[in-house]
Amino acid sequence: MKQFKIFGMTAALLMLSSCSMFEIDNYDAPEETIQGEVVDVATGNPVLTDQGSEGIRVRLTELSWGDNVEHNPDFFCMSDGTFRNTKIFKGHYNVRVDGPFIPLVRETTDGMLLADETINTDIKGTTKVRFEVQPFLNVKIVGDPTVSNGVVKAKVVVERGVSESEFRDKIEPMGNWSDSYLNVTDIQFFVSYSNSVGYRARDDRWSSSISYTGNSFNDLLGETITITSNGEIPSGRKVWVRAAARINFDTPVGSGTRRWNYSEPVEVMIP
Amino acid sequence: MKKILFSALLGACLLTSCQDMDIPPKNIVTSDDLLSTESGMDIYMARMYSTMPFEDFKYLAERGLNSYNGWLAGFGFDGTGDAVNRDGYCRAFTGENEAYWGNAFTLLRDANFLIENLPNYKGNYPEITYNDYLGEAYFVRAYVFYALAKRYGGIPLVTRVISYPASSDELEVPRSSEEETWNQICSDFDMAAQLMMPKSPKRGYANKYVALAVKSQAMLYAGSVAKYNETVSGRLTGLGQKTGVRVMGFDQATAAEASKRYFTEAYKAAREVMENGGYSLYMKKWAEGDRSAMRQNMIDMISDTDSPENIWIREYIYPTTTHSFDAYNAPYVFRSPLSSAVCPTADFVELFEGFERYPDGTLKVTTGNSNTEGTYIMYDNVGDFYKNAEPRLLSYLIAPGDQFKGQTMEIYAGVYTGTTPVKPLMRDYSYQAQGDNYQNLDIAQGDNRTLYMTPDPNNQTIVTLPDGSKMNAAGANGPFYNYNESAMTGLLGRKWLKDDPSFTAREGNSDQHYILVRYAEVLLNAAEAAVELSIAGAASPDGSDMLGVATDAINDIRRRAGATLLASKLTGSNESRNEVRKERRKETAFETGTKWDLRRWRVNDYDNRDGFWGEERDKDKFSSNSHYRFRGIYPFYSATDKKWFFDVKFECLAHKQFEYNPIDYYFGIPGNEVVKSKVIDQQPNR
Repeated sequence: MKQFKIFGMTAALLMLSSCSMFEIDNYDAPEETIQGEVVDVATGNPVLTDQGSEGIRVRLTELSWGDNVEHNPDFFCMSDGTFRNTKIFKGHYNVRVDGPFIPLVRETTDGMLLADETINTDIKGTTKVRFEVQPFLNVKIVGDPTVSNGVVKAKVVVERGVSESEFRDKIEPMGNWSDSYLNVTDIQFFVSYSNSVGYRARDDRWSSSISYTGNSFNDLLGETITITSNGEIPSGRKVWVRAAARINFDTPVGSGTRRWNYSEPVEVMIP
Repeated sequence: MKKILFSALLGACLLTSCQDMDIPPKNIVTSDDLLSTESGMDIYMARMYSTMPFEDFKYLAERGLNSYNGWLAGFGFDGTGDAVNRDGYCRAFTGENEAYWGNAFTLLRDANFLIENLPNYKGNYPEITYNDYLGEAYFVRAYVFYALAKRYGGIPLVTRVISYPASSDELEVPRSSEEETWNQICSDFDMAAQLMMPKSPKRGYANKYVALAVKSQAMLYAGSVAKYNETVSGRLTGLGQKTGVRVMGFDQATAAEASKRYFTEAYKAAREVMENGGYSLYMKKWAEGDRSAMRQNMIDMISDTDSPENIWIREYIYPTTTHSFDAYNAPYVFRSPLSSAVCPTADFVELFEGFERYPDGTLKVTTGNSNTEGTYIMYDNVGDFYKNAEPRLLSYLIAPGDQFKGQTMEIYAGVYTGTTPVKPLMRDYSYQAQGDNYQNLDIAQGDNRTLYMTPDPNNQTIVTLPDGSKMNAAGANGPFYNYNESAMTGLLGRKWLKDDPSFTAREGNSDQHYILVRYAEVLLNAAEAAVELSIAGAASPDGSDMLGVATDAINDIRRRAGATLLASKLTGSNESRNEVRKERRKETAFETGTKWDLRRWRVNDYDNRDGFWGEERDKDKFSSNSHYRFRGIYPFYSATDKKWFFDVKFECLAHKQFEYNPIDYYFGIPGNEVVKSKVIDQQPNR
């Protein structure tokens, strides 16, 4: 019987050791960094956005896994149009951004690829990528916003970042073209106590918007538009304001998400 | 040691001797046992039905089907605006925590197994019974496909038993196009209707008209999606990345035709139920001109098992098969272990007749032209605000001062001791000011306050009234400003609750049945399909006067409900369509269909939200981009003149905010299913 026990225990020990249980993991930790920026190809200025699912989406797909690969969990650009992720596994990736600019991947409705301007890169150490895109709109707050009785008034200028003809040249081949895609549908005026002001960090009490039907905005392109906040902001604190505008075109196509182009945030003291 | 060796040897010998033991084990139920007799088939059916994707007392929209077994289940607070609820599970229908996928394929296998194997036992049954069983299998398959299609669009159409092991080509079924999916659903329902008996052979079984009624619902969904996808930014369609199949949405070229075809199918199916089904609207207690009889009739319609309106119900039996609806949704005074989950909104009440209105159509509570103007209209009794309300609405509500379970339900938000007439409490009632609370008002602060409220039921503020008497600052059922398990909107839901004083709710002791399909819905299906077909310029599929049928259907429902009949015949216009939609929102409120209606009408995202209420309403009054909110009707007691006034304001206790984006019209395919398969496509817009 004693032999039996010894034999059993040895066997058990052997079994334990066989599953490499003393190694913590056999894969390198995700410690590579990808750093990127999305800039306007015409001016070199960053494409401003909002950090959230309505902003610029960054999608990494590791290509070394073969053809049936799911992309990594999406993340989003910071509001200044840059992104940085420091917890990436080493590998060969496709990097794609989707936002308020001409889509980098353009396909016909039948799935035929027309253009692919995404970046394939090895991510190792700190990898930098730069996307030069054509933003739909450029939005600026001109001059200093004024405040009276807790209401902020700002002057906003919206211009096309990509000409109508060029937009059409690139989007029409994708199918289902409609002239209405080019229409500017609304201007948003986001107000927040936070300097990360935007769609996600807006304060519903004071943020406002102006909607435009059809192509009625066309005459206002490049003009100064005055927009005022809602309600009455209590005095004594700073707020940040930001303007945003968008056209009637969703990115990626079919998502129904029409993304805004943003102005720089502006700090306003409420006296 | 020798002994051990010997026994080991003996064991080895024994092993070799069983090579001929291939008789079937007695303790395993085989398909032969199940499929060869009627009692076996009952077991087979029971198994299928027990895993059907029913959305009843066992379902909570936020959680999804199955594993929660009805914990905290209730209706109307899934972002449809019928009601709000304090908790995190009160949110817009943008997905289900437990995605319906794997369980669907298990059930499909059961249905397909029956379709493939029952023919081997055809001789065991009379033909009519055999056909009925086979019809059930097709019905179950159609029902599961339908449940999947309305969630995901195109789905893997598994129409055969997949044997395992097999090559991956045989095991893996890719998603079909959305159009093919709806076509399959249509033909499976047709097959079921053709095979099944007109009356269920046994209680609980489906039948021909159940199949047709559900078919009309499904085809209405398909027709709407084909048509209204076009109204959504981005058109909601695309090809699967792996297969190149249009797994989501419709081709722009064929969408209009497909939509017409599906509406035609919906109309035909609903008409057949209307003409030959033998169902009728529940009118047992109804009496012309008698509002309380009309109301009681609507209440009994829900609870009467023998209602001629019931087409298909799911029954529960105490103590073996039960649910917990009453344990979560009754008023606070009956709390056990929870309460007050369904709090109907002012926005919902505005769908109904019998209230004074401001010029913009909202509920009038002051003498002025909007909430901020004039002074409050005073009422003698707390229930008087609802005195003239449509009987159907009252059948859904536990309004302030209502009777429930033999008791008067106390619901009021505060006591006002200041001077009268009373000016509006808030300066601003707009969406932007939704966060303002009554308890933060100046008049609710300090020793000289004139507005008293109660933080929670265990801490009632006692107010000494001018005449020296004392009164609680809030009703026994709330609303309380620090405790949201109360009449958060100044109202509570009544539909489906057991109004029996002798019944004490506990978790798992409710046994009322759930009506899965009732005749009123079939009428609404026919009416909606008829108007949609007329808008599309399609001919009547059966030669009937479609708009006449639609008008009669709406008027029958309105008459029963105690509402005003249509002034003129419906036309093929969006206005008439909205009449039908609004009627549907009213008639089927606090059932599980409304969230699907909003989804198929594509009116939940900001761009299309004007149509959210069936009728046209300005979305900016209750939305801020993708966010939206609802209002409550808060009763206050004015102590000076001993009267009541009401304030309509954005719900400010749980501050419920909903969010919906176009991407939510199709749920994402569960990520793990996409990753592990070479053929299952994710939605192309995700």
